[in-house]
Amino acid sequence: MRGSELDVVLRNPATRRTFLRGMGVAGATGILAACRKSVEPGATGPASGAASYAPIEQEPGLLHAYEWAGYDAGWLYSNYTKSGYEKPKFSFFVNTEGALAKTAAGFGWDTDHPEVGYIQDFINLDAIVPWDTSLIPNFARLNPVLEKTGQINGQQYEIVLDWGYSGVIIRSDHVDPSINSYSYLFDDDLAGHISWFDSNWIIQMAAMVQGVPGNETFDMPPDQLEAAKNFCIEKGKNVYNIWTDYTQMWDDVRQGNVWAAYAWPDAYVNLKADVPVQYIRPKEGVLSWAEGLVLRNTTQDYHHAHQFADAWADAGAGLKLINVYGYGHANLDIDLSKVDPDVVKVFGLDDPQTNLSEPASFIDRFQPQRKAYNRAWEEVKASI
Amino acid sequence: MAVEATVEPAGAAPRGRRPRRHAHVGATAALLSGPLLWTIVFFVVPVVLVAMYSVGFVTLLRDDQYNTLAFWRLFFSSSVYLNTPFSEGLFWRSVRMSLGVSVTCVLLSYPVAYMLALVAGRRKYTLLLVIIAPFLTSYLLRVLAWRVLLNPNGVIQTFLRDPRVGVLHEGQNIAWLYNSTFAIYFVLAYVWVPFVALPIFVALESLDLHLLEASTDLGASRWTTFRRVTLPLSMPGVIAAFVFVFIPTLGEYITPQLVGGPGGHMFGNAIQASFAESFDWQFGSAMSMFLIFAVAILLAIFGRYLNVRSVAAG
Repeated sequence: MRGSELDVVLRNPATRRTFLRGMGVAGATGILAACRKSVEPGATGPASGAASYAPIEQEPGLLHAYEWAGYDAGWLYSNYTKSGYEKPKFSFFVNTEGALAKTAAGFGWDTDHPEVGYIQDFINLDAIVPWDTSLIPNFARLNPVLEKTGQINGQQYEIVLDWGYSGVIIRSDHVDPSINSYSYLFDDDLAGHISWFDSNWIIQMAAMVQGVPGNETFDMPPDQLEAAKNFCIEKGKNVYNIWTDYTQMWDDVRQGNVWAAYAWPDAYVNLKADVPVQYIRPKEGVLSWAEGLVLRNTTQDYHHAHQFADAWADAGAGLKLINVYGYGHANLDIDLSKVDPDVVKVFGLDDPQTNLSEPASFIDRFQPQRKAYNRAWEEVKASI
Repeated sequence: MAVEATVEPAGAAPRGRRPRRHAHVGATAALLSGPLLWTIVFFVVPVVLVAMYSVGFVTLLRDDQYNTLAFWRLFFSSSVYLNTPFSEGLFWRSVRMSLGVSVTCVLLSYPVAYMLALVAGRRKYTLLLVIIAPFLTSYLLRVLAWRVLLNPNGVIQTFLRDPRVGVLHEGQNIAWLYNSTFAIYFVLAYVWVPFVALPIFVALESLDLHLLEASTDLGASRWTTFRRVTLPLSMPGVIAAFVFVFIPTLGEYITPQLVGGPGGHMFGNAIQASFAESFDWQFGSAMSMFLIFAVAILLAIFGRYLNVRSVAAG
């Protein structure tokens, strides 16, 4: 859902969102995909379960991590390298759809880092196997609300590690914070100062404003989807821009061009010192994203992958993730006294289980009608 | 006997030349084989695969549909993507944009090319180099640079807001300058003008100047000479220039995305989104093939009016 196209041009190494969701991926993967045969369900690698795999000493040892740019930072998995394992080889994707496309085309990796809403897509590609959580000591310290979103049919296909909200950032000198709703993104009074993100979640937010419960917005019947789409089309006239590059959105908020924008927590962390902003977790409940590591079914480094995931799940890595990127981390043992108290309060880091549970939050999940949603979103963009 | 031996049947190739012709044919084939292979492998085959994928003759993903025209039907029935030329269908929006940009580019480039070819004299190649110098910079960077210049807090509007200039009040913006259709046209025109000037320059440079002298000698004014002699003779270059801009901008998506604002969503953006964002490859393939067909038809039409040799070789 997230990612930034412009950033691949800017090559900003500061965060993993520093990439364009570019045409290059589509082109390259298209050619690769064209050379590949149809994916045959059942053509899997080794069966799941540690017993099926060679012991760690017999594994090649060079883990191939397919990651967001910026998530190759050594401190995110420092316990892994400290244990003497070779630094993983990293490849980067610009968005999860691109990662899926390359995977479908036969691109090899050991671990990938998709949002939980895409786990089912990887399973549909027959590309991943469940983790053996007994091999990940830190797993017991991870937020069970989040880890549940990484399960399919009771099996832990993703070790959910980082998360954040898709809320609204407002300029509190121009906008009344007490409204506390996704309606900011459609408000006629803010015409010309609203910024949407290029994501079909805008349609879900519109549906929530129209009264659809957040958990139902991931799989709306056609009439609801149509109504939400039409609402977006009607309100499209109020939109200043649809951002794909988060730094562009930050600048627009900072400069006063935008008073209300679809935003992740990092926007607040980066802007709060510069201009009067508030981060809104709407009264309708906030849509949230969560993501983590999935394990390739063909991996030759099964145990190394588990060690890598354990390092990522460490509280120290989580603390730094919060302070550096402004994202949440699934580890519940993080020492929050070392985090900006305002950030803790605004994002509810002191009680993540409650704040990430419904109805306060609706965590990303598989969209069974994703194509219909995407086409509706295309229609919205085409109609503005 | 000796005479019979030396007479060759009419139409037969002279002895001794046949091997040379074979060598010539062989050399031609050898020279052509590389580009031909390249074109087949990296253009024809991918296009065929995309075409087959759009109708499900080739499938890649579990939920791909087999042997179906559903995506073509969806495309043709959707008011979003096609509809009528006067509607807001994305394809026609892109066509209008491309037409506008192409015409603008040709109008802006013609005087430049004219000056270079017919006025600049010995300095023309130096000046030509200067004009095409922007091509040494990345296309994307040039577009990004305009974003810095045009945005409400960019160089231009900040300058106009300066109290000493006083064109804009504090907090006042020129809305049409950024995140607008104007911005798309303007930036695309800037990007393509140097490129468009080249074929017009070549066409003008190949003009027989004696014709211009003859026109003057016969009493025609400069304007009449231009209108009756120069312009018609340079039309192949003008058409080539138009085509050179129109075709690539028809699928343009990055410039509208960067400077076009919410109204900058074009047909190219829809194709890009289908592949890179929506994982809707079969529909994206149908749209891509439609664009290729449209471009092919346009090329065929323009090709009737375009004397390639007069543009390329002079």
